[in-house]
Amino acid sequence: MIEVRELTKRYGGSPAVDGLSFQVRPGTVTGFLGPNGAGKSTTMRVLLGLAAPTSGEALVNGRRYQEIRRPMHEVGALLDAGAAHGGRSAFDHLRWMARSNRIPVSRVTAVLEQVGLAGVARKRVGGFSLGMRQRLGIAAALLGDPGVLMFDEPVNGLDPDGVRWIRELMRALAGEGRTVLVSSHLMSEMALTADRLVVIGRGRLIADTSVQELSDRFRRGVLVRSPRAPELSAALAAAGAAVEREGAGDLSVRGLDPAGIGELAAANGIPLYEVTPRSASLEEAYMELTAGSAQYQAEPGLAGRGRAEGAGS
Amino acid sequence: MDALAAEWHKLRSVKSTAWTLAALAGSVLLCFLWSWFVARHWDGRPPGERASMRAAPAEQPLVLALPVCAAVLGALAITSEYATGMIRTSMATVPARPRLFAAKAVVVAGVVLPAGLASVTAAVTVGRAIVGGRAVPSFAEPVTGQVPHLLGLAVWAAVIALVGYGAGAVLRSTAGAITAVVVLLMVLPPLADLLPGPWDARAGSVLLTRLPDQIAAAPAAPGGAELLSPTGAVAVLLLYAAVALAAGAFSFVRRDS
Repeated sequence: MIEVRELTKRYGGSPAVDGLSFQVRPGTVTGFLGPNGAGKSTTMRVLLGLAAPTSGEALVNGRRYQEIRRPMHEVGALLDAGAAHGGRSAFDHLRWMARSNRIPVSRVTAVLEQVGLAGVARKRVGGFSLGMRQRLGIAAALLGDPGVLMFDEPVNGLDPDGVRWIRELMRALAGEGRTVLVSSHLMSEMALTADRLVVIGRGRLIADTSVQELSDRFRRGVLVRSPRAPELSAALAAAGAAVEREGAGDLSVRGLDPAGIGELAAANGIPLYEVTPRSASLEEAYMELTAGSAQYQAEPGLAGRGRAEGAGS
Repeated sequence: MDALAAEWHKLRSVKSTAWTLAALAGSVLLCFLWSWFVARHWDGRPPGERASMRAAPAEQPLVLALPVCAAVLGALAITSEYATGMIRTSMATVPARPRLFAAKAVVVAGVVLPAGLASVTAAVTVGRAIVGGRAVPSFAEPVTGQVPHLLGLAVWAAVIALVGYGAGAVLRSTAGAITAVVVLLMVLPPLADLLPGPWDARAGSVLLTRLPDQIAAAPAAPGGAELLSPTGAVAVLLLYAAVALAAGAFSFVRRDS
C-alpha cells in the first residue's frame, strides 16, 4: 500500500510536485504516467526518503520510509539503472545490500537467477549493458522479497524480450498480492501492463483511474456505413441514438451498441457495409489528458520544417 | 552492525581500495630502499665525517604518501557513490542517514588506522634492521621508544582520511574533496610560512602536516613557545576530524540526494 497525501516538493521556487494525492493498492499494477518532468521521479524519491517533502507526506504501508528499519523486506525499488558502482561485481553489489538488511546470501543467488544474470554474477557492473543494469536493479528490488515494489522507467534500454519479461514479471508480482507502482512516460507500455493509472502533469494529478474507465471515457461511438444512410439515420434517431453524418454514407452513432444497430438495420431491411466501434487509443486519451501539461514540448512548426528539410536532402 | 557490515563489504569489493593499499605498500618498499641508501652512504664516508651525517628517518617516504592515500580512500568512500548514483541505493537500503554516515566513517577509519600503523611500523622496524649498528642519528633510537610517534602517525592518517570523507560528503565530488585535502596538506603550510613572525610559527603549529612531530616530541625537545604540547597537538588533530565529520554529517543528513 502506497499513500501520497497532499505532497508538494519545491526545488528553488518552482514546484516539481504540487499538492499530489493518490493511493496504490495491493494486487494491482498501477502505472504512474506523465510527460518528462511531470514529477514522477521526484514523487518516487520522496516515497523512498531520498528527498524531503516541502509539505504533505508520502507513506509506504502507513509509515514514512525513513522509519522502516530494514526497508528492503517491505519495499523494493528500481531507481535509475546507473545506481550501482561500476567497479563492483553484480554479486558483490547485491551482497552488500543483503548484508545491510539481514537478507541471507541465498537470496542473492536466487534473484540473480530470477533476472537472468546468474551467468555474469562475478562480472563487473561497469561492463554491463543498460538492459543488464536494469535487470540488476530489478534483482536489487526483489532481494528482500518485499510486498511493495516501485519501478522507475523499468523498460528503458531493454530489448523486446526484456520488455515482455518485465511486463510478465510485474503482472506476476501483482498477482501474488503485491503492490506494484511503475512509472513510465509511455502509455502504450502501460496499456499492456497496468490495471490502474495515475496520470500526472506538472506535478498535479490529472487522472486516477482504471485502464478500462479511461478507454470508456474516450469511446467515440460506432462507425456505421450503409448505402441507405439517410434512412438508417432516421431509424437510429427514432430508436434514441445520437447520429452524426460523416461524409457520404458514413454515420457516427452514439447510444447504441453494434448489436443494437445491426438488429435495427435488419428490422428495417437496410444493408450495412460496416459497423465498427471506435475508441480513442489509450495513447490518444493520454495525449488529450496531458495536453498542455507537457513541460518540454517541441514547436510543431519547427519539427515539421525539420522533416521537410530532411526529405529534401 | 548491519550497516557496518554492508559498508565493509562495499569498501573491500572495489578495486580502488586495493590500489590505495598497494600504493601504501609501495611506499613502505621505498622506505626500505631509503634505509638501504642511508646505510650505503654511511659506509662510503670516511669514518671522521660519519658523525656529522644527517639523514631523513626511515619512514620519510611514507610520511609523504600516507596522507595522500588516506585522503583518497576517505573521499572515495563517499564520492564514488555520488558519482555513480549509488548513494540513492545506499540511502534506500539504510534510510537512517546518521547511521549510514557513521558506518562509513567507522569503516574508513577502521581501515586506515591499522593500515597506517602497520605500514609505518614495518618501515621503521625494517629500516632500523637495514641500517643496523651504524650510528646515523635519525635511525639511532630503538623502535620501542618510537611507539608514540608511530601511533601518532597512524591516528594522523586516520584523521586525514576522515577529513577527506567529510569533505567528500560536503562537496559530493571526488576531485573537489581531494583538492580540499591537498590545499590543507600542501598549500596551507607554505602560505603559513609567509606570515610575519611569530604568526608563521603559531599558524604553522596547528597545520595538519605539522601535528605528528609535535605529538611525538620529547618533553624537552628544542622547540619554541609557539609549538603545541603533545596533548595540545592531539586535541587539534581530533578537532580536525570532528569538524570534518560534523560538516559532512550535516550535509549528508539534511540535503536531498
